[in-house]
Amino acid sequence: MTLRPAQTQAIPVSERLASVIDALGRVVVGKQTPLKLALACLLARGHLLIEDIPGVGKSTLAQALAGTLGINYARIQFTSDLLPADVLGVSIFDPAAHAFRFHLGPIFHSIVLADEINRAPPKTQSALLEAMEERQVSIDGETRPLPEPFFVIATQNPAEQIGAYPLPESQLDRFLMAIELGYPDPAAERELLVSGDRRRRIPEISPCADAATLSAWQREVDAVHVAPALLDYVQALLAASRGTSGATPRLQRGLSPRAGLLLVAASRAWALLAGRPMVLPEDVQAVFPALAAHRLAGSARAGGPQAQALLHAVALP
Amino acid sequence: MQKSARLPLTRAQTAWLAALLLSAQLPLWMSVLDWVALVGTGLVILRLLPPVRRLGSTRLRALLLPALALVAALGIRAQFGYFLARDPCVEFLYLLIGIKFLEARDTRDGSLLVCLALFLAVTQFFYTQSLLAALLALPVVIALGGTLASLRAGAAAHADWRAQLAEPVRLTLQGIPIAIVLFILFPRLAGPLWGTATDTAARTGLSERMAPGSISELSLSDAVAFRVDFIGPPPSPRDRYWRGPVLSRFDGREWSALSHLKLGSFARRESAPIDYTVTLEAHGKLWLFALEYPLALPHAPTDEATLGAPVNDIALLTYDQQLLARNMVMQSVRYTVRSASRAKVTAVEGDVADNIGLPNNNQRSALFARELRSRVDSDRAYIDAVLAWFHGDPFVYTLTPPLLDRDPVDAFLFDTKRGFCEHYAGAFVTLLRAAGIPARVVTGYQGGEMSLDADYMIVRQSDAHAWAEALLDGRWQRFDPTAAVAPSRIERGLGAALPAGEPVPYLARMEMTWLKSLRLHWDAVSYQWQRGVVGFDVRRQRDLLREFGFDNPRPVQLAAAIAGVVLAWTALVLGFSRLRASQVDPELALWGRACRRLARAGLARRPDEGPIDFADRAATRWPQCSVALLRIGELYARLRYGPEREQRAALLVRLRVSVDSLPSVRKLRAQS
Repeated sequence: MTLRPAQTQAIPVSERLASVIDALGRVVVGKQTPLKLALACLLARGHLLIEDIPGVGKSTLAQALAGTLGINYARIQFTSDLLPADVLGVSIFDPAAHAFRFHLGPIFHSIVLADEINRAPPKTQSALLEAMEERQVSIDGETRPLPEPFFVIATQNPAEQIGAYPLPESQLDRFLMAIELGYPDPAAERELLVSGDRRRRIPEISPCADAATLSAWQREVDAVHVAPALLDYVQALLAASRGTSGATPRLQRGLSPRAGLLLVAASRAWALLAGRPMVLPEDVQAVFPALAAHRLAGSARAGGPQAQALLHAVALP
Repeated sequence: MQKSARLPLTRAQTAWLAALLLSAQLPLWMSVLDWVALVGTGLVILRLLPPVRRLGSTRLRALLLPALALVAALGIRAQFGYFLARDPCVEFLYLLIGIKFLEARDTRDGSLLVCLALFLAVTQFFYTQSLLAALLALPVVIALGGTLASLRAGAAAHADWRAQLAEPVRLTLQGIPIAIVLFILFPRLAGPLWGTATDTAARTGLSERMAPGSISELSLSDAVAFRVDFIGPPPSPRDRYWRGPVLSRFDGREWSALSHLKLGSFARRESAPIDYTVTLEAHGKLWLFALEYPLALPHAPTDEATLGAPVNDIALLTYDQQLLARNMVMQSVRYTVRSASRAKVTAVEGDVADNIGLPNNNQRSALFARELRSRVDSDRAYIDAVLAWFHGDPFVYTLTPPLLDRDPVDAFLFDTKRGFCEHYAGAFVTLLRAAGIPARVVTGYQGGEMSLDADYMIVRQSDAHAWAEALLDGRWQRFDPTAAVAPSRIERGLGAALPAGEPVPYLARMEMTWLKSLRLHWDAVSYQWQRGVVGFDVRRQRDLLREFGFDNPRPVQLAAAIAGVVLAWTALVLGFSRLRASQVDPELALWGRACRRLARAGLARRPDEGPIDFADRAATRWPQCSVALLRIGELYARLRYGPEREQRAALLVRLRVSVDSLPSVRKLRAQS
């Protein structure tokens, strides 16, 4: 890992983040923006929901992220008979020790890929979501903290909603961002076909960071400057989403104050990725659709146009 | 130079255009033909319906629309009998706007429609220049601003109509002082330009003919005939006889004025003189109304009269005591007259011959007159007997008399006995002439209502009246047979004299006091409008300018004054907005300056576009300036959104230098 000398404008962290994105891009081809959004989501201590069909590289993304950042990874395939214990862990009687011993569930990993979360019954879903929110698990009267950093990537297949349990709105709100990966563009797809499955390269990834570094980066995010003028803009966006400014038609549901807080956090992360010590309106605009779409309309696909229209309607103060 | 792109009209633009066209058409609804109003407005509305919006792209329109225009032109030609005059052209324009809108597809059509709509909006002042008309023109101005804004915004025009509305309102408010200056200083024309001969439209008012029914028809109109400012107390109601056309010739059915015109001399007054100023509404005829009897020729109002301006040539007095203007009263005029309610009008040569003849119908009346005359011993006793007969017999004063056919005087006097003032005056004069007494019909107005604060009098068309004059003892004397039948008509006005249930103008009735007071309030306002705005003519402009010390200014001086005031105001407005901008944030002002320059050069920043994005876009458009452009974006972003405190001053200097280093608009346009 080489560090180029810090420039006056850039801060050293962003150089290392850029190399993370480079490394990720070698595995997940042609998905620069979703990659950056996923990383920003992680840096902002949020969780990510990916809405897409199977086979576009969701678990590759999660594994590559874990590999590049040097943190551990687990995948949970959600099914209709999955129980909360399968996610959180279970206490099993150990005859040798004459005691119950807690077996950690797959959730005790830094990056958890919850695949097809909408296929599990609500009880299991909410076990996961509560853990995401509180970053700890309480079982048998004992509270166990989850690893730090802790990042959940949940996937949802929009095409197969029969026999599934779609996440209610209140649960969707737990995810900082909801994105679509989409099909690769022709050039990227050709490269993929030529070089074979990218997942084989995952073991070859050399980590660029570790858990401690990641936590340090997360603290860097908090230090990114947010000017009053930018907060004005964020507030204008929130007001527009609630239809109170008169500039836009009233939407089904507006953005909550918590969404505003998260928007600032995600914008900070994006600014850090871009190597800026302060948040610009461009940063807000970059993360806004991913953050607002599922909150406005219940899914990334349905809310995308609404979020874009909101951005167009709100002038910079 | 930028080429105006032919972009298809968006829905918002179409809606704005429709609003503009409708508000331009609205004030003309009362003036144009019914079918023109219906079709012209219908076409505009039709365009908004979904199927027609699609018609815009079919080939059908290439044939259909010219055909529509041709049909419209032919229809108007058929209605008027001519085409190239003011009214038919206005009607055609009214229709044309609807047809053009039907086919309007892109922004160039939109610009053309804006011009047409503005032209149409101005034509309403051909017909009326009232306060209401001026107020009706206001929506046009607002809709115009919105339309221009949406046309300029192009496809980016969202449904945010409030912002688009706020801008034109602001601009309108800013333009008001300039409009006032232009109104005061712009040279006035002596008369309206559009008084073409073919269009002397029928206006309400008295005419030189009086047949049974003509005045009762007039009495249904609430329109103001004239207003009077009295210098001193107004005369009592019974003396409010406003003298107009004198009718001496009778063909058995219709009274008309003599065709020859002789100058006369003024009456000798026998009571205190009354001075007053009349503001006469345009009536398209020559009469200037004055209280009976005028003592001198009218002159310009004393409150506006200036040093010895030659004004006594506006009118003349005929030998039958009519005041006639030298030109037809095509716009409202103001004049001051002196009258006396008692005056001696001596007979002149020819009076007897002009006022004695009768046609040979109405034989029953002639017989009745001769028989009655033979029973009394003097002309005066005869007149008293006739008036007593009117009073005693069951004559009815009504606005809706039965129709009279062959011998109208006979039928009225002996059969129906129901009539309005023209029936009584006409029959009275017939009876007098039949008995050998020279007599004539005088028409005019009788009465008048004081305004709310009693500072002027309103005389309406519903006050129209006809009475009689008889030559008795060598002087003309007034007799009002209507007073014998319905005394309250003279004392208290039309509404009091007519039985309940007659169709009287609302205002003539004494009840409905709130409505009456509302109308009087409105009249007070529009009187001020008429006096101050419409009546602001060459002379009053000259007087006003003289008060400011401009004596007979030359056009160059006026133009310089206008330009000076306009420039000063513009500088003030612009300076104020600059000042406000610079008070907010210096970097915002500098950034705004750079954005405005780039916008004028053809690259406008979208309202939601951030500084870095816009700088990138500008840099790709003008690669040769990319360094400066990118630096401007970055510096502004750092100043506005960055954490810098200590470096602010230095960064501001760098930003200012970079903004100043941008090439001029013309160079940027040339380079793009």
